[in-house]
Amino acid sequence: MKNNRRFLKVNLKLWNAVAIIAAVFSFIICFLIIANYFQINRLDPVNTKIINTLVERLSQNPNDEALKEEIRELDLLARKAYFTNQWQIRTGGYLLLIAVIILVISVQLSNSAKKIEPVIGEKDDNNLFLQKTARKWVTIGGIGLVIITIFFAFITHAKLGETFTEAATAENTLIEESDNEETSSVLASSETMEESVTSESEKMIDEESIQETSEVVKTEKKTEPIKPTTADYPTTEMKANFPSFRGPGGNGIAYQKNIPVSWNGNTGENILWKTTIPLPGYNSPVVWGNKVFLSGATAVKKEVYCFDRNSGNLIWTAVVDNIPGSPATAPAVTNDTGHSAPTVTTDGKKVFAIFSTGDVVALDMNGKKNWAKNIGVPQNHYGYSSSLYIFEDKLIIQYDHRTASKVMALSVNSGDIVWSTERKGKISWASPVIVKTTNGIEILLVTDPFVASYDPNTGKENWRIDCLYGEVGPSVAYADGVVYATNEYASLVAIKIGDQPTKLWEKFDYLSDVPSPVATDKYLFLATSYGVVVCHDAKTGDLLWEKEFGGGFYSSPILVENKIYLIDKEGITHVFKADKEYISLGDPVLGESVVSTPAFMDGRVYIRTDKNLYCIGK
Amino acid sequence: MKKRFSIIILLIIISLQIYNSFAVQRFPKPEFESGHTQPPTITPDPRAHALAILDVFVLVAALSVVTWLVLKKRFRIGVFWMSVFAVLYFGFFREGCVCSIGSLQNVTLALFNSEYSIPITVVAFFVLPLVYTLFFGRTFCAGVCPLGALQDIFAFKPMPIKSWLEKVLGIIPFIYLGLAILYSATSTDFIICRYDPFIGFFRLDASFMMFIIGAILLLIGVFIARPYCRFLCPYGALLNLVSRFSKKHITITPAECIQCRLCEDSCPFGAIDKPVLLKDKEARPVAVRRFLIIGIIIPVLILAGGFAGSQFHENLAIVNPKVQLANELLHNTNYGETEKEAFEIEAFKSAGQSKEELYLEAAAIINQFYYGGWVLGGFIGLVFGLTLLSLSVFKYKEDYTPNKSNCLSCARCVDYCPIIPESNL
Repeated sequence: MKNNRRFLKVNLKLWNAVAIIAAVFSFIICFLIIANYFQINRLDPVNTKIINTLVERLSQNPNDEALKEEIRELDLLARKAYFTNQWQIRTGGYLLLIAVIILVISVQLSNSAKKIEPVIGEKDDNNLFLQKTARKWVTIGGIGLVIITIFFAFITHAKLGETFTEAATAENTLIEESDNEETSSVLASSETMEESVTSESEKMIDEESIQETSEVVKTEKKTEPIKPTTADYPTTEMKANFPSFRGPGGNGIAYQKNIPVSWNGNTGENILWKTTIPLPGYNSPVVWGNKVFLSGATAVKKEVYCFDRNSGNLIWTAVVDNIPGSPATAPAVTNDTGHSAPTVTTDGKKVFAIFSTGDVVALDMNGKKNWAKNIGVPQNHYGYSSSLYIFEDKLIIQYDHRTASKVMALSVNSGDIVWSTERKGKISWASPVIVKTTNGIEILLVTDPFVASYDPNTGKENWRIDCLYGEVGPSVAYADGVVYATNEYASLVAIKIGDQPTKLWEKFDYLSDVPSPVATDKYLFLATSYGVVVCHDAKTGDLLWEKEFGGGFYSSPILVENKIYLIDKEGITHVFKADKEYISLGDPVLGESVVSTPAFMDGRVYIRTDKNLYCIGK
Repeated sequence: MKKRFSIIILLIIISLQIYNSFAVQRFPKPEFESGHTQPPTITPDPRAHALAILDVFVLVAALSVVTWLVLKKRFRIGVFWMSVFAVLYFGFFREGCVCSIGSLQNVTLALFNSEYSIPITVVAFFVLPLVYTLFFGRTFCAGVCPLGALQDIFAFKPMPIKSWLEKVLGIIPFIYLGLAILYSATSTDFIICRYDPFIGFFRLDASFMMFIIGAILLLIGVFIARPYCRFLCPYGALLNLVSRFSKKHITITPAECIQCRLCEDSCPFGAIDKPVLLKDKEARPVAVRRFLIIGIIIPVLILAGGFAGSQFHENLAIVNPKVQLANELLHNTNYGETEKEAFEIEAFKSAGQSKEELYLEAAAIINQFYYGGWVLGGFIGLVFGLTLLSLSVFKYKEDYTPNKSNCLSCARCVDYCPIIPESNL
């Protein structure tokens, strides 16, 4: 029996050989393309280790032309290698296509030439058996599909529809609340303004004509100036305590006396007590009266602690939970920032804490919750770290995160927003500094790309000057009408404030990425994370001295009684005179690594280490 | 002949180049202080209307030629060369788009979304193969569909698979069809296009994953012919249904079957129905009882499927970009990006829509998917039920005949038949 199949007359041997060669070639090319793909994915031409190291070196020595040239050459090489790899993949793709086409043609020709002998199936499969088997597997498949679907539906059920509806309602409420707040704030300010204007007018009625008065009213309404607050800041009470990160107002100054310059954690010299802190946190201790406050948190637990200043005993622990709007899962943070980087603050009546989730809590001095709220989860790839400060009855929060940066003041009594000012900068890990300047009391904030000042009463921006970039960590320092700001890879800049803030000087040699600077009227002190401490002339920027220490610094220097206390990462505190020459007063060792900034009060130093809180004094 | 063919290929390549030169500059170029000038950026224009019309004509011509080759000439080599043409024209030249498989999503979207205006050429690509199939069987699959044609060319050593497995796997295209319709109807995504395993080859720009998936399918296709067409293609599921009613379907033998069994294993797709004789018939009461039970169970299967689908609706809906965006915003996860704000979120913010609106919209989409889940699940339940029912029916058959639903009309089997057509005598 013969079938109808039509055959081509071809050289079977030849086409088989071509097919084999094409197949082997395709396989090799395919293998090379895949290998090249993985190689190209591993390489990032703009982020190579060697270039990054050289760039880092260049940042320390920006005028090194030879180094610049070397970086350029390496960069060009890296890019060339990358594009060559891409070209190889593209060319390989074309070669593969050609090889596959040849393979197809040769195999098809070879197949066409083969005479296929009729093959008759040995045995018919029984139709009933086939149907039965198919029914069985269709049934198993169907049941399996339903079970798997319901199982996955059950374990992943998140009530998405309801969640979105609730979120929409919450969003609507938030918008209404903020509208109301804005309206009431506008009403309040207009009422205040009208009151003052009215009293002005009343005075003037006595002295001048009604017409003249109305002119004055018009002028005042048009150009109402932000009057500087004349109250003292930090207050005497604040100065007597250590109420926040880097001291009262956060300017790196402790208004304390008789602080020891020697201690030893290993021998116990001058160590009054040491207490274990339950949860981790990179925040620093604050002290008010007989109480020392700290916070700690993990991804699932947040706590505020109060220790007895004299004995070190843990007086109370406040668990921060059940806060409306708090996210179910904490945002991702890096290990070197954690969930509790911001330092708590206190006004002696309440303690305030904020965490990586955006949860803010107000506790009374006995640890009882007064109010708590979530101000929105900060979008911050390392973790939120700006510390809290109090100005009068307002809790000041620098909330510079990825999407909606702002600075805001919450009422210390209710947590309601008193004012909120949008900021156009990027994420900042720095903290506010509140100081009294010649213009009045100002909140000084730093972020990429600017340093800005805000009125603590209204939140209105007083001035702003673009001068920095990068991921800003250090807060500013202020002394004698000059604000000092810095960031690694950017610069150290001194800004003379006044009617028109201007750059007084700018330096690029020694820059900080974590510790904040501290300034006196004459000198500026700056520590770097790689272990160099420098002193600049505050007015000219001249480098007066530089000193290299081994440990590196994350902790910020604090000025106490014309002495600088600066703890390195190994726990050695370098105490030196705040002077134009480096004069060491001691290098006491604690024996544990330290990244937080110490608190000073009543002749004692409070230092948080990884796990413990130390009290040092005589 | 070869020369003419080379000229045609050359013309196609040249026309591609001319086509690119009409591209437009959309954004102003950045300026560099170094004086470096950017090379011009070009964005291709949409396909010219005239070319789209030409495509429809080519489709009609290709369908007609293949149908003629299959039904009149019974000429397998001709069908093979039409496959090559389909790969070159509908695949590489037209870069695989619009294809009939994907067009079913456009049609669904047009039916469910009044804002979407479907081009007439796309409708033609959807309808024409169905019409041809209704009259002549799946000649579209035989040598016009570029995806099928590409796999057909690679079917070097096809091996038969068990017919019960063929039946079970044959349900997958219907599930895929249901999912594709659900996602198009809810304006979520064109999943057929997104997961088209061969489009990257046609456009010579396959992503690594798509390249691997496409290559694996082609490699499987060397031994299990046309795996995508048989076990995945959602349009094939539609053609499968329509082809059952085809008026003039290909036959293995041009005359009366002589039961020689030469064609028995000739079909690489297992689409030849073998004779089923009366001795294979089971006892009537057993068969009737089973038939009735399955008939009664079908509504239960529809309900069970519907329930499972409705419970699964959140997992189905999370693919929707709006639901995804709302979810990311709500949980502040920024699409897993840590370095910078995800561009989706950036785009949302710049669009000026409020979060409240987005959440409400997402909630409405979730609701759509809840009902869609019922329909999809019910449909899948129905497919399972009808498959079980068809597997419980005894169909008496004396001859070897192509299975109208599964037969791809490739005309391989005709070469195995020893009966010479009268016209050739």
